[in-house]
Amino acid sequence: MSRTEGERGPQSASPKPAEAELAVARMSEMSVDLRGCAVLGPEGEELASTGGSGWSRAGAAFLEAADAADGEPATQVHVATEDGEAFAVRDGGLAMVAVAERFTLASLILFDMRTVLRDLASGNGVPDRRAPGPAPEAG
Amino acid sequence: MSPKPHRILLDRVSSYADEAGAYLRRRRATREPFARVFYAGGRSASYEPGTEAGRALFLAASKLIDAADR
Repeated sequence: MSRTEGERGPQSASPKPAEAELAVARMSEMSVDLRGCAVLGPEGEELASTGGSGWSRAGAAFLEAADAADGEPATQVHVATEDGEAFAVRDGGLAMVAVAERFTLASLILFDMRTVLRDLASGNGVPDRRAPGPAPEAG
Repeated sequence: MSPKPHRILLDRVSSYADEAGAYLRRRRATREPFARVFYAGGRSASYEPGTEAGRALFLAASKLIDAADR
């Protein structure tokens, strides 16, 4: 089980699935180098993801490895490998994990992750800035 | 004959672009894999791949990357 208490403490946030999906969509929209991301709940369960499989287990293991490195809960993690870059951010009992192309601008990815997760954890909802669909035809 | 002013400006802009391109190429060539963890209060720590914590982080990161690509 992963610990997901973030900078604002271990309070248990429980966003609706639609909000978590909106957070993932917003993250994908903002970060062009993103290969995939997922929002994990307080117990490490996957609330939403861009696709792929095994986010819950892999994300929890990633956060556990970060916590075990210094025996202290991590608030952000960035690991750059030959195959891509892995990120994790915690806030308000939630966590977001993401994978981006190699040599991505890490500070921008982390900033976007923090912004989206903070909105989600605050309970105020993630702003929906997606382009509106076509207007329904009259008549 | 001295070059026209707009030629000087174009040359300068292309030289800046060349510099930026060279910087990015150098960054790609010299950047090694790394793991960095941030803690509450703004403290951060780097873990080398040769350490136990670094190995665990790189292994977990590669599994996360696999999850994204699946």
